Amino acid sequence: MDNNTQIILAVVTLLGSAGIWKYAEARLRVKAELRKEEQSTNDTVLYRDDLRNRVEEMDKALKEAHKELLELTQKVAKLETENSFLRREIDILKRN
Amino acid sequence: MNRLKLKAQEIKAKLTARIDSLRIIWQYSDSQPTEITLAAALVILYPIATYLELGYSPIMQVLAPIAGLYQLYCVSGRCLSCRVRASWVTFSFYLLAAVMYLYCGLLFKGPSYWGWILLSVSSFGSLKRIKKEELHRKNG
Repeated sequence: MDNNTQIILAVVTLLGSAGIWKYAEARLRVKAELRKEEQSTNDTVLYRDDLRNRVEEMDKALKEAHKELLELTQKVAKLETENSFLRREIDILKRN
Repeated sequence: MNRLKLKAQEIKAKLTARIDSLRIIWQYSDSQPTEITLAAALVILYPIATYLELGYSPIMQVLAPIAGLYQLYCVSGRCLSCRVRASWVTFSFYLLAAVMYLYCGLLFKGPSYWGWILLSVSSFGSLKRIKKEELHRKNG
């Protein structure tokens, strides 16, 4: 096989493979887009996303509630201490 | 008779499931091992085979091993776009070999030459798998 034939065959094959690949790539892109669109309108996927959002919100609310509970517990403890102190003072005053 | 029919349906369903499974594996499985094999064949086997059977051809015996090394470099770098490029080059070289063998009248001389078609199909499949992975990562 002479050099010219080799070069011609190589160029033709290169162009052919580029054409085949461009076509296949375009098809893959279209399929991927269709799948993405399908997913965005799919009820199951939407429901799953909605559930995920709700779980995140509930997790946030639970953390805030824990924080508030801790604060309230501290306040109650403080008030109990104050209450017992005041009772003792009242008792002392009553005795006097 | 009914039992035979049921058995046949069962076998058909099983076979269909297995074929589907093979199709999914072919389309979506990891292609790195295939890429490495194809690249190694391009570096070692390709120049020797084409030199012994087609004669001296600088395009095939000098550029193909470089392309194979590039493919190995891309696989080791884990860069998807680089792998797509390298796989396309690999596919082009295997297709070129098939075309050259066809031109020289060797491709249908013996079944062992059909290996070039098999390698072309395999490299094209690998190329499609990587592109799918790239699109999947882009689209999420």
